[in-house]
Amino acid sequence: MVLMRPFGFRQLRTRLAVLYAGLFAIAMLCIAGLLYGVVVHNSKAQVRKELIANGTVFDRLWDQQTSQLRGAAGVLARDFGFRAAVATNDRGTIESALSNLRQRVGLRTAFIIDVDGNVTGLAERGEVREASALSGRLDQGMVAGVAPLGNRAHKIVAAPIMAPALMGWVVFAAELDQQEMRSLERLSAIPLSAAVYQRREDGSWRGADEATKTPDLAISSFIEANWRHGQPAEIDGAGGLSIALAKPLPTVPGAPPAVLLLQYPMRLALSPYRPLEIAIAVIGVLGLALVVMATWRMARSITLPISLLDAAADKLADGQLASVPVNSQDELGRLASTFNRMASDIVDREQRITHLAFNDLLTGLPNRANFTQHLEHQLRMVERRGGHVALLCMDLDNFKAINDTLGHPTGDELLRRIALRLGEELGDAFVARLGGDEFVLVKPFDGEAGTIDELARRALAAVEVPIQINEHALDGKASIGIAIAPADGTNNNSLLRSAELALYKAKEAGRGTYRFFEEPMNAIAQSRRAIEVDLRHALGKGELELHYQPLFHLAADRIGGFEALLRWNHPIRGAISPTEFIPIAEETGLIVQIGTWVMQEACRQAAQWPEHVRVAVNVSSIQFQRPGLSHVVLQALQNSGLQPERLEIEITESIFLERSDSTLQLLHTLRGLGVRVALDDFGTGYSSLSYLQSFPFDKIKIDRSFVVALQTRPGAAAIVKAIIDLADALGMETTAEGVEEPGQLATLQKQGATSIQGFLFSRPLPAPEATRLLKSRLKLRAA
Amino acid sequence: MAARAADLDVQIHSASGAPVAGAVVSVHLVGQPTPRPRPGGIYMIDQQDIQFRPFISTAPVGASVMFMNHDPVRHHVYSFSPAKRFELKLASKQQNQAVTFDKPGIVPLGCNIHDRMIAYLNVVDTPWAKTADANGHVILRGLPATAVTVTVWHPYLRAPGNGVSRNFTLSDASPHSERFVVAMRNPPRDPGSGY
Repeated sequence: MVLMRPFGFRQLRTRLAVLYAGLFAIAMLCIAGLLYGVVVHNSKAQVRKELIANGTVFDRLWDQQTSQLRGAAGVLARDFGFRAAVATNDRGTIESALSNLRQRVGLRTAFIIDVDGNVTGLAERGEVREASALSGRLDQGMVAGVAPLGNRAHKIVAAPIMAPALMGWVVFAAELDQQEMRSLERLSAIPLSAAVYQRREDGSWRGADEATKTPDLAISSFIEANWRHGQPAEIDGAGGLSIALAKPLPTVPGAPPAVLLLQYPMRLALSPYRPLEIAIAVIGVLGLALVVMATWRMARSITLPISLLDAAADKLADGQLASVPVNSQDELGRLASTFNRMASDIVDREQRITHLAFNDLLTGLPNRANFTQHLEHQLRMVERRGGHVALLCMDLDNFKAINDTLGHPTGDELLRRIALRLGEELGDAFVARLGGDEFVLVKPFDGEAGTIDELARRALAAVEVPIQINEHALDGKASIGIAIAPADGTNNNSLLRSAELALYKAKEAGRGTYRFFEEPMNAIAQSRRAIEVDLRHALGKGELELHYQPLFHLAADRIGGFEALLRWNHPIRGAISPTEFIPIAEETGLIVQIGTWVMQEACRQAAQWPEHVRVAVNVSSIQFQRPGLSHVVLQALQNSGLQPERLEIEITESIFLERSDSTLQLLHTLRGLGVRVALDDFGTGYSSLSYLQSFPFDKIKIDRSFVVALQTRPGAAAIVKAIIDLADALGMETTAEGVEEPGQLATLQKQGATSIQGFLFSRPLPAPEATRLLKSRLKLRAA
Repeated sequence: MAARAADLDVQIHSASGAPVAGAVVSVHLVGQPTPRPRPGGIYMIDQQDIQFRPFISTAPVGASVMFMNHDPVRHHVYSFSPAKRFELKLASKQQNQAVTFDKPGIVPLGCNIHDRMIAYLNVVDTPWAKTADANGHVILRGLPATAVTVTVWHPYLRAPGNGVSRNFTLSDASPHSERFVVAMRNPPRDPGSGY
């Protein structure tokens, strides 16, 4: 929540608690404030009303008292005897009558003023003077009002004495003292305080009795401000805030203004509400405590699962398996179960990824990466603790053929079964599949070679048991090469290379057997690698050369063409046999580069020969598998200007082993260019008549093994004849290879071979010699 | 004593300019005794409609004043004046009684039964006294042409003794006109009320 950001709470729980408590507190404060405002307002209004009501009561009381006093004074003033006494100035009678009246009415002060201002009935001289001054202000009528007497405010009621003319006044003076005020206060419904104030000439006000003689400034100025309109208002005086009403009193004419001040402290007005205030405060505090507790608890129910999730997510981030308890059906519960599902999915996936990373998808055996780690580990152990580790490399002998003939699904199934068996039978060794039909076994041992012999035999035995897949009963045969650390290598690569060399040796030894690594193997391998390295540079250094072996056209009785044959003149080793370096070139892919050069060179050379002379170029199956062969051919023809019909590419059946559809398409493309296609080494390998049907070859080259056998093996001639007849029937030419004897030539001529090739006619020649041979127009020795 | 006679014309106004009706004008001689009046003649103060009539009257010293009740109710006429203290209880209807006033002075008259009833009798010790008419006008004839004190009295006149005096000398050559402006008190609005 944005609101909370500045507080920066570490816990959601505190945040929620503070938020709700705060909101509640604000609400409570608002309610309390409102309530207090209403209470104060109402109290004030009520006090005002009370004050006004009391003012009215006071008025009536005043009037009542006045008329009572008037009555009493009037009675006396009218009394005939009293009037007679006054008229005759009979002081004794007058005094006694006045004292009688004082007792009757209950007043302290009653006296008589005559029209000349003479006072009878007062003792104190100051009072006499004040009373005498009154005479000028009184009229014949009845007078009632406030006037100072003896320095104190008195309520004065005067009744004229008419005898019958005005002779004077009977005057009653009621002191407006505290006692009087207390009796007034008792009449009120509310406990207000009442006091009379008189105005002084300087505008300040003084109280009527000792207690209020010198009021505080607030009261004085309040009266001064409010006495004329007589409305209740507030005083903020020494005793706290109070509401007061200054009520003007009637005064004797000429006397200073006087007010009755009714005062009511707010403290008292509010005191009935004190329990309410306390109740609100208590409810507020209790409510706040409850809200905090409830929010705390609620927040806990929310944040506890979140904290658990938080901790679990941390754990998960560290790669551990984590789960949280699911306690509810709400969003948090769903989140928790989703989290659990996600966590277990992640763990599952990790396990699968790990498994995939270290296990072979097809067989479930450990893969190359796993093997590498394992072997490294074992080698380290050997290094540290001594002992030996045997590495067995196993290769199925006939897997390629099975795969080719029965299809990949069958091949895969075979691998799976073999893997299963190896796992079952060789539980004491680490078994891995490196790819294809390559398996490896790793086994640490104490140096007793017999252990490993036994292991190798068991492995071979496990593979050799026939396996039934669909309708085929397959018997896997395997070769095994064994290298032993630390003798044959101290690291993965060297040990593996040694084991592989041993494997080659086992295969050479006739398959289905095992061989331990021996040092010479390594020398051969090193020689191979040296050839590989040198071959990379041979082309650039011009060490490669083409030799041309003539193909003698029997019918035309002349050289019909040359087969271009690659020669490598190694600067140190001298001439290296193609059988030695061509496989290496094929393995490394250098054959593509070399083949391109051969194509260019052969075409360039052929272009210089007479038009009836063709050139035949061998194309490797590797070249067919890589893209760009047709481009290479086209490029060579363009560069040389050679007619396409004069180029003959020779392929072997092996190119059909892989991707025969695209191979056929490529062959058709080349044929479309006008290039001739010859099938080389016919009759060996997997020769299948279906190839002849699948592509209209221009020529079939009969393998030298048949030609050699012509004179030694009965039936060979029949095969050659059958091939030639078959080719004839399909409209294909035939070339017999390896013709060395005149007898062979005779037979082939008789059987109708189109052309012959062999030492009988000429060995392969460097280009200049080949060209010279053409010019010599040499005849066949046999002819 | 000079035999020559003089006339005195007195006009009385209040401060507000209203004529003061009923004011009593009396003349005393200065430097020689004023002759005593002759108490002959008939003086009457009636009670009619719960009122004294006239309100103000004069009578010479020694005169006998007749109080006559014309009302169907009883009256109790009294006065506490120093000049004359008396009480008359007059039964209803046509009952009368005479009172002799043998001292000069003002005699306020009241009725002890009816407070609103009030009247003033000015008992004078001079032969020259008269109440002013409704216009506040008084003419006194046959006065000696000599120095005199003229006094104007009215119960509502605001002055000590409710009277003011002036000294001057009368001549017989021409009538003497004298004008008085006096301060007047408001009469009690209703003497009977207020109790």
